[in-house]
Amino acid sequence: MSVDRDTSTALDDQTLKPDEGKLVVSRLTKRFGGLTAVDDLSFAVRQGEILGFIGPNGAGKSTTFNCITGTLAPTSGTVWYDGEDVTDLAPHQMVKRGLARTYQSFRPLRDRPVIANVALSLVPDSLFSLSGLRGETRAKARAVCNLVGLGEDLGTMPGQLPHAGLLRLELARALAADPDFLLLDEPFAGLAEQEVESLSALIARLRTERDVTLVVVDHNMRGLLSLVDRVVVIRFGELLAEGAPEEIRQDPAVRDAYLGGGV
Amino acid sequence: MTDGTNTVGSRSIDHPPLVEWLDPRRKPPRHKLGLIGLGFLAVLPTLLTPLQALTVASAYFMAMFAMSWDAVSGYTGQISLGHGVFFTAGGYTSTLLNLEFGVDPLLTIPIGVLAAVLAGLLIGIPTLRLRGPYFALVTLIAPLILLRIFVVYSDVLGGTTGLTRPDQLFGLQAGDAIVTYYVAFGLFVVVLVALLAVTRSDAGAVFTAIRQSEEAVSSAGLNPAKFKIFAFTLSAAVGGLAGAAFVHLPIGSPTPSSLLTLFVNVEIIIAAMIGGVGTIVGAAIGGMLLVLLREILSNLAVTVPVLGVSLAEIDTIAFAIVTIGIVYYYPDGLLRSTITLGGRIRDRVASRSNNQSLQSRQQPRKSAALSDETTDEADRKHGGNGNER
Repeated sequence: MSVDRDTSTALDDQTLKPDEGKLVVSRLTKRFGGLTAVDDLSFAVRQGEILGFIGPNGAGKSTTFNCITGTLAPTSGTVWYDGEDVTDLAPHQMVKRGLARTYQSFRPLRDRPVIANVALSLVPDSLFSLSGLRGETRAKARAVCNLVGLGEDLGTMPGQLPHAGLLRLELARALAADPDFLLLDEPFAGLAEQEVESLSALIARLRTERDVTLVVVDHNMRGLLSLVDRVVVIRFGELLAEGAPEEIRQDPAVRDAYLGGGV
Repeated sequence: MTDGTNTVGSRSIDHPPLVEWLDPRRKPPRHKLGLIGLGFLAVLPTLLTPLQALTVASAYFMAMFAMSWDAVSGYTGQISLGHGVFFTAGGYTSTLLNLEFGVDPLLTIPIGVLAAVLAGLLIGIPTLRLRGPYFALVTLIAPLILLRIFVVYSDVLGGTTGLTRPDQLFGLQAGDAIVTYYVAFGLFVVVLVALLAVTRSDAGAVFTAIRQSEEAVSSAGLNPAKFKIFAFTLSAAVGGLAGAAFVHLPIGSPTPSSLLTLFVNVEIIIAAMIGGVGTIVGAAIGGMLLVLLREILSNLAVTVPVLGVSLAEIDTIAFAIVTIGIVYYYPDGLLRSTITLGGRIRDRVASRSNNQSLQSRQQPRKSAALSDETTDEADRKHGGNGNER
């Protein structure tokens, strides 16, 4: 993959094949009426890597995510996961296949404590399940809470958690679904320096301990530099650059996109 | 993992063998109270006149109607304003099969349940994407359409006055109050147990999660549409069963005014709100209270001062005022308020005995779940979310 890729030549070799990665997005386009939010975007995520997915505000990052996870139907293009076409699958089907996500705007269940929030992801998708009456669900949910650092807050209601705690809850709910692929939508937004570090450490642990492939979205490189293996930069819904974090930082096109190079 | 230390209510909840789990002595006080209450209702007819027994029997049906509504609207938050459609689908199907073809009520009632389930699918599937007022509007219109159909085909469907009485269940006569009571009570217990089983299992947790956020549910790998349809058909089945059984008992009749009208549709919602929405038990209590309270009010030989009319004449108004009072002062319903109050009393008793042994020891309340001695407290808190009651 060339770092300094010219968009016009890139168009020709953009069509990716299903087996080029764990998750392959090929020529994805999403239009809302006259607005093109994602424009012929292609990229692949390799098994076991942590990919940074960055772009200025409004670049189409969340829309791309929503198209991948099935929340939105793409206008055109294909999404492959594990070599299979998953473009038309609903969000819950993607989760069952092992691709979970967190939302930028948190979606906790405010009517129940942390542990019950996490336990929901452990419920089998069947109508007559009695697992709620058994103890394993709670034990598993507790283990996930401990992993993300919510072990002290099992009985806390989401409304009483600080911002960082809600983020960890969001992460715990995604993790409880036992994914092998995680999309994290702007996890670092609104976090203090210290929290960014501890979250980065947690994300790195997820890869080594749980063998999870990750995509981390952010609008800049803060917090990503030491964490990710590779970075994909988009702007106006188009691929701008792709490469190792250091290369991306040097990339003139990327510096340009961020007005003065504050990547 | 530090699993050993964080035992939130795990002493008896983790890995309970079924027999142990069913043991009433191990249940929290509110469950014991519930069982005692059911036991009391089982022997109640011995204390009642036949007429009173029949009133309580119809209270059971109001309770079943309210529970049917609560199962879908209270849990998933999809507010149905036309649940009478399901009672009617059950009641009318059963009546018509009996009247036209002479089929025995014991057979027509299950078919009535099927008809109600069909009606549930008919309304539930097309409205899957609708939420809030839009969903409510569709369910509000459904009984109006049905009533119109009854009028248009009034030679078969009886128009606004309803159908003639079908055969009675087990050939019951108007005087068989005790048998009627126990038929109603039996159905009530069956419906209560079935709905409790579903709402206290995982499905109930998913229903209430749908009420919070459908996106959260699908990001947990669960199909919200499937659970919504399940809630709807379950609710319709229960409503259809109650409606079908009702018309074959001396206390009921296959008429729009008792199964379908706006009054019925609103009454069951009021009943559920009085008892507590999203609890099933609350709807059961609310439904019974509603009928009994109204009966009491209309029998009171009291003249209202200033107005100079007897209370019996304005019983509906008096009832409405009492209802508004309950809903205003106990917005979560009588059930939740009572449980909270009970818990507070218990806490006070517990803290008094605690203070005697350990003076001035302040428990940080934030992580009550973590301290060993408050496991009960955590249990109760957990029950407070409306899933586990």
